[in-house]
Amino acid sequence: MTDELKITAYRCKKCGRIHYPFHDRCLDCLERDFEEIKPEGDAKLLAFTEIYNLPWGFDVRTLKIGVVEFSNHIKAMGQIQIDDFNKLKTGMKLKTFWEPVRVQAGEDVFGLVLR
Amino acid sequence: MRQVAIIGAGMIPFGRRDEDSLLDMLAYASLNALDDAGMGKKGVDAVYVANMGAGILQHQTSVASALVDRLSLIPAAADAVENGPASGASAIKNGVLAVASGYYDYVLVAGGEKMREIVGWKATDFVATMTHPEVEYPYGVTLPGMAGMFTRLYMEKYNLTRDQLIAVAIKNQKMGALNPYAHVEMIITREGIVDDPDSVVNNPMAADPLHLYDMCPVSDGAAAVVLCSLEMAKKISKKPPVLVAGFGQATDTHTLQERDDPTDLKAVTLASNQAFEMAKLTPKDVDFAELHDAFTILEIAESEHAGFFKKGEGGKAVEKGETSLGGKFPINMSGGLKARGHPVGATGVAQVVDVVFQLRHELGKDRQVKGAKTGFTLNFGGFGNNVVAFVLRRAE
Repeated sequence: MTDELKITAYRCKKCGRIHYPFHDRCLDCLERDFEEIKPEGDAKLLAFTEIYNLPWGFDVRTLKIGVVEFSNHIKAMGQIQIDDFNKLKTGMKLKTFWEPVRVQAGEDVFGLVLR
Repeated sequence: MRQVAIIGAGMIPFGRRDEDSLLDMLAYASLNALDDAGMGKKGVDAVYVANMGAGILQHQTSVASALVDRLSLIPAAADAVENGPASGASAIKNGVLAVASGYYDYVLVAGGEKMREIVGWKATDFVATMTHPEVEYPYGVTLPGMAGMFTRLYMEKYNLTRDQLIAVAIKNQKMGALNPYAHVEMIITREGIVDDPDSVVNNPMAADPLHLYDMCPVSDGAAAVVLCSLEMAKKISKKPPVLVAGFGQATDTHTLQERDDPTDLKAVTLASNQAFEMAKLTPKDVDFAELHDAFTILEIAESEHAGFFKKGEGGKAVEKGETSLGGKFPINMSGGLKARGHPVGATGVAQVVDVVFQLRHELGKDRQVKGAKTGFTLNFGGFGNNVVAFVLRRAE
């Protein structure tokens, strides 16, 4: 599944710190050389919420949002798509997909979906 | 560097102000501050205007130029300061630096925002534009959503309880009901928002685990202060000048996910420490604080990260009444953002105005911190990625 994710993170070639999103200089050592890396392995749920007052652009009642960490330590936000919010627990593993997360100007915007 | 004092403070009631434009509000608050300072027809050298969203919400830009024109303060220098919800304190900091440097003698700082003329989901979207445009915003995350995730992590790490969050909401709305400038003037009870079966309707979930009454309102409002050197203030001010004893500002990563420990509000700690160091004071020397409780969790977390309580103790302190009037460290006797309201560009200025009122001992018995000499403000931008703190002292 993770091969399909259009997420590119950046590992500092000097100190190894992983950045996602991109920074022009490493947050730790300020070096500018990065190796592009892709998410690997399971996605562990680090933080989550269900939002009831939504911003412009969403035609759903609520949105479940989470931050996950992949096996190679890339951390990313995504939309969680499960029916029962109460089943979510910090540290649980979720499957990852690259699917539409919203519509803007009549076009799908793709992003990380967690199930 | 010259020591800088606040010689004038003014505000207008926050809330829904359909009859006033953004510029009206900024002008009214500015005139209140100028009159409070006894400036008469005397001009100022520079004006700093804090505003986050006029370009988006009112389709109006260059609000600082518009305000000096409206107030006939021409040819004063005029700059607008946009730093999200920390715009207000950022603008004051810039004003303080300008006076401290000796370049300007008199500076007006005004902060304002008009947020109620758009529907709720547009306001939510406007505030969410602070999130990262590529890796956060597209998912629909909101600032309440950020706060919800942060709250769950804080509960897991520090055993923070929902009762402690509720205690913040009840305390601050009680104080807001006593504040003539507050947006929300409604006392709430635990029964009404938690125990009663109707509380499901009265206080619905907003961003799990946070409920409606954990949130500040969306408000219109403005506030302003007048700054000059302490030396000059002592000569001209009829009211006790308030010394800007210290200030600090620090930033953190744009996204929460890139913080090593997302429950660690590093910028709050750094900004607070800078302010205490400059003031040559410690948190123990401070009598009270105005903290940025856009969500109840933030009052607790900020009180700990600024050094007023140990980590995990802030929530207990609220429950025990230690942060209420008469407690050992009153917090948000204005009602805070929770009740005074949160017109984002105005908030950091309003916090300072509230501390000035306290330090001049001008409030009624029901809100005045007895014998207050030193106050603290913390203005929290983004989700803690840009934070400004002030230590303010009554100058005798």
